[in-house]
Amino acid sequence: MKRAILILGFGGVVFGILAFSKSYFTPLYFEVPKSWPQPEYDFKKNPLSEEKFQLGRHLFYDPILSRDNSISCSSCHAQATGFTHVDHDLSHGIEGKKGTRNSLALINLAWNKDFHWDGGVNNLEVQPINPITNPVEMDEKLEHVVAKLQQSSKYRNLFAKAYGDEKVTSQRLLKALAQFTVSLKSTNSKYDQVMRGETSFDAQEQNGYVLFKKHCASCHTEPLFNSDKFERNGLAVDTALNDLGRIKITGRKEDHLRFKIPTLRNIQFTKPYMHDGRFKTLNEVIKHYNSLGHDKSLPKELAKPMNLSDNERVDMEVFLNTLTDKTFLFNPRFQFPRE
Amino acid sequence: MTKRKYTVLFLLFCFQLFAQSNDSLNVNFKVVFDRFPLELNKRYVSTKKDTITVTAFKCYVSDLEIQFADKTVFKEKNSHHLLDLANPSSLQIPITKNSDKIISKVTFNIGIDSTTNTSGALGGDLDPIQGMYWAWQSGYVNMKIEGQSPSCKTRKNQFEFHLGGYLQPYNAMRKKVININNKSDISISIDVSVFFAEVTLATTNSVMIPGKIAMELADLSSKMFYSE
Repeated sequence: MKRAILILGFGGVVFGILAFSKSYFTPLYFEVPKSWPQPEYDFKKNPLSEEKFQLGRHLFYDPILSRDNSISCSSCHAQATGFTHVDHDLSHGIEGKKGTRNSLALINLAWNKDFHWDGGVNNLEVQPINPITNPVEMDEKLEHVVAKLQQSSKYRNLFAKAYGDEKVTSQRLLKALAQFTVSLKSTNSKYDQVMRGETSFDAQEQNGYVLFKKHCASCHTEPLFNSDKFERNGLAVDTALNDLGRIKITGRKEDHLRFKIPTLRNIQFTKPYMHDGRFKTLNEVIKHYNSLGHDKSLPKELAKPMNLSDNERVDMEVFLNTLTDKTFLFNPRFQFPRE
Repeated sequence: MTKRKYTVLFLLFCFQLFAQSNDSLNVNFKVVFDRFPLELNKRYVSTKKDTITVTAFKCYVSDLEIQFADKTVFKEKNSHHLLDLANPSSLQIPITKNSDKIISKVTFNIGIDSTTNTSGALGGDLDPIQGMYWAWQSGYVNMKIEGQSPSCKTRKNQFEFHLGGYLQPYNAMRKKVININNKSDISISIDVSVFFAEVTLATTNSVMIPGKIAMELADLSSKMFYSE
């Protein structure tokens, strides 16, 4: 009997501690817009909290992640341009070294299954290991980052707020970064407002939308304007880079020259375009797709010529501009954290 | 009859004593080269007459399961162990309480399964800091063997085998079943000489991506494990 009381008492104390420690964090709710698909990201394994989000935000903007404290995530992923590296066809990292691909925009990552142009990364949480350890990006070791953060009183404090104690681990660091990047949600463009019935397209936008649905939407699927698939899109191989795309990951012949189908949201500001940033303007991109057709090596979606007139190309671009979401590009919650 | 009873009692007493002195059941791995303990940075000669120095040997053992003669099974939860020859304590895995049941089999995977490989940022033995994780192509390295041999016409005569991959058709994890017949700690040898008896170092000396060769070498890695 005495034993039972003891066990009950002990259980009560444990419950009390758990309940208390839980209330210590401020939970965040990830809202999925009506009629959108369910996210791919598993929030159950990394429940959002304000404290972890803020830790992730500090890490995202801090060059402490790089070997010589010169490069942060935001160096190549700037908010005002949809979290990509504007005006650089290939992104440059530490000591001005250049990579082989155009940095991707970080938009609605919660709905992404694979990451990178070749889909080599299978979970948002492990993506940052790439830029951190890549010799032409941050060129740092994950264990050094953990040690540097552990030595910083600012981060010991932020980790304690987020996790209840000051211990820095790679898992905590990566999960916190994921809390920030998974929250980069763009759902309030003019397109979204039209879909919600709050406003309407003008004639030109409407015409562009009809053309888009006919020629582009089978790969750039609404409402995310992307796809989990990888495809060839008729671009000739840049012989200086010799980037063969997804085949490098899967080793499968059919993946030769296949690349990720990225989101078109905020495309007005994410220039330059394509995996190697070869096109500076949307006009060039549309012209490229308009020039395709009658080519057996292309996917069936691109096999028929689009035959867009000059006016239609303009309308298409006008529609694409309705995917711009200023509330996302200037959301103060996603900005550099001022202390 | 009474004599038999006493024997049983005596045996039970012994087991009790044993359980008190050593209350966990260990699975002990021993990395060997042809039945001699493998030492890092020491020279060995393979059956192929290659002179070999191993500078690193690491591998994952996961989903440890012990089957007893009475058909009961013990499955270790969250069972992922990084065995690292440079860290001897990593080779001894206490997994459950000792019991007087006879163990008939131990099963485990050499490597990490596909679910774990896609589960995002993990800690402990699965922390990417352990140096057994590929970043550019997410996934764990199941087994790492690094060293030198004059048979390798490479920079510094180095060989590097990083065997991994979880995506079909190149899933390099291997299931291993080892028959046992005792009650106490389980001893399993990992014989590196088995690997070098079949690898032609002059041509195969650097395997660092998932694929066909990694699959063949993973088959070979599974032959390295046996009960002492």
